[in-house]
Amino acid sequence: MIGSRSKTIVIWTFVAIALILLSAPTIVVLGASFTAGNMITFPPQGLSVKWYGAILGASDLRQAFIRSLIVSAICTVVSIPVGTLAGIALAKYKVRFEKAIQIYLLLPFTIPLIGSGIGMMLVFGNMGVLGQLWPVGIACCVINLPFMIWAVTASASNLNEDLELAAANCGAPPLQRFLYITLPAVLPGVITGSLLMFILALNEFLVSLLLVDARSVTLPVQIYNSIRSIITPDLAAISVVFIVCAGIAITLLDRLVGLDIFLKSK
Amino acid sequence: MRNSRVAYPLTWRVMDMLENVCARIWPASLHRLLPYLMLLPAVVLVGLLVLGLFQIGDASLRVLDTSTFLFSEDYSLENYRQAITSGFFAVVASRSLMGSVIVTVITLLFALPYAYLMVRTHSSGLRKFLLVALFLPFFIGQVVRAYGWLIILGNQGMVNEALGLVGVPPVRLLYNYPAVLFGLIQYMLPFAVLMLAPALTAIPEELESAAGSLGANWVRTFRHIVLPLARPGLVGAGLVVMTLSLTDFAIPAILGGGSQDFIANAIYDQFFRTSNQGLGAALSLMLVAVGSIMVGVVFAVFGAGTLAMTGGRK
Repeated sequence: MIGSRSKTIVIWTFVAIALILLSAPTIVVLGASFTAGNMITFPPQGLSVKWYGAILGASDLRQAFIRSLIVSAICTVVSIPVGTLAGIALAKYKVRFEKAIQIYLLLPFTIPLIGSGIGMMLVFGNMGVLGQLWPVGIACCVINLPFMIWAVTASASNLNEDLELAAANCGAPPLQRFLYITLPAVLPGVITGSLLMFILALNEFLVSLLLVDARSVTLPVQIYNSIRSIITPDLAAISVVFIVCAGIAITLLDRLVGLDIFLKSK
Repeated sequence: MRNSRVAYPLTWRVMDMLENVCARIWPASLHRLLPYLMLLPAVVLVGLLVLGLFQIGDASLRVLDTSTFLFSEDYSLENYRQAITSGFFAVVASRSLMGSVIVTVITLLFALPYAYLMVRTHSSGLRKFLLVALFLPFFIGQVVRAYGWLIILGNQGMVNEALGLVGVPPVRLLYNYPAVLFGLIQYMLPFAVLMLAPALTAIPEELESAAGSLGANWVRTFRHIVLPLARPGLVGAGLVVMTLSLTDFAIPAILGGGSQDFIANAIYDQFFRTSNQGLGAALSLMLVAVGSIMVGVVFAVFGAGTLAMTGGRK
């Protein structure tokens, strides 16, 4: 950054407030999870890990977490082939009605979540599959699919047509060219996309809330239902699971593709 | 025989077999249709949404008979009339609309300096720190973040306990309109910064140096160079923040405590509390229409590339 001291001060003032705003809930939840008391109080009543022990023993929380993992896994497994193929098709080939197809594939972002969620609730309800986990996974996949397609098309600048022609020239048939030339070129995008899909599905709340019943609640819904009744530190401890998952996702993202890709201009 | 097997390893045989299967399923003569085949699964998946919209549309035209609790067989626009004329929904709609405007303005006010510092700083450590601080809440999810605010702002929360230490009586910080807006701003900041950052990256730093060397101070440089060039990013980010906060459910539900419902909460209540599916469906469809119009405006003004889907097109 260039410029005078006053500029630095003004910019940093805004950034500092934003940083506090962004980090305060995370830090507080982390702190509250280690409290020794039965209530969350300030200043804390001492340190303990007893609430972590408590959530290990709570089978409803554990099962909700496992269900969330299953939903995320379904969402990611479905979105990888679907999003990768669509992304490559959009980036590599001349497609008729490309504009229209792009706008259509952006529908999950343009339709408000409550609309998408209720629509899919009606669709899955008519199919009689509500209460199972796979519709939730599919629904999470649908609403976040543009992230996957975007990640793949963004890395498609690595696609090199000459390389494919060279491979063809050396006798590589279409499938081999796809597996050894096209796919590795977009792999960073596929990794970014699948990480995003997994973590967003793990956190997805509203669509889960609409699609689950009492026996198939996912963890965010479970936390929401418990918040309504009473605030206890075991919720903070289980929330730390999400913070840890987010931390792992960010570390992976940074190691594998670098966080800087989100700053690049198109 | 043995020699030829060594020269032609098993993996090659498998590949050959797969190639043959592929060629059988999708012969080279269909090559021109290949991209459409690749797009098909995505189109089908998103089709679920379209199907959902049609079902909402169908439900919205059926009126609930309050005596039998059955929905009418024939279609009518009664639900829409009720949604438009009802004073309750007008209050909820104006509360959501005004809230989303306020949230958008404040979010952009903080997102712009954040994105600017992140893009312009020469320290890669600081950039990474800012990125991590941005992604962490983004990846944690709304419920946990709202829960954090409950701990901080609640009646026995940190702020009130701290105020109590200096002798100030507890203040009710939660379950009011500002608390919801506050939560929404925090929720929207990562979205806004991530949409602004590419737009700011695209502005060459030399332009700012040039303005500076011509005698403009940083405020003028910001006003006449950075802001105009970042305008597409600002408008894009603004509209995304506005639609997302207009249609949000979790923050008004948790931080509003039922007294500060936004449109999404009203829709949810129609489906799950009052069980008037028809009215809820009519409200959903109207919200979808408003959201689509807002996004349509972005497309019309800036093209569909605004949402970063056109990258890499040769």
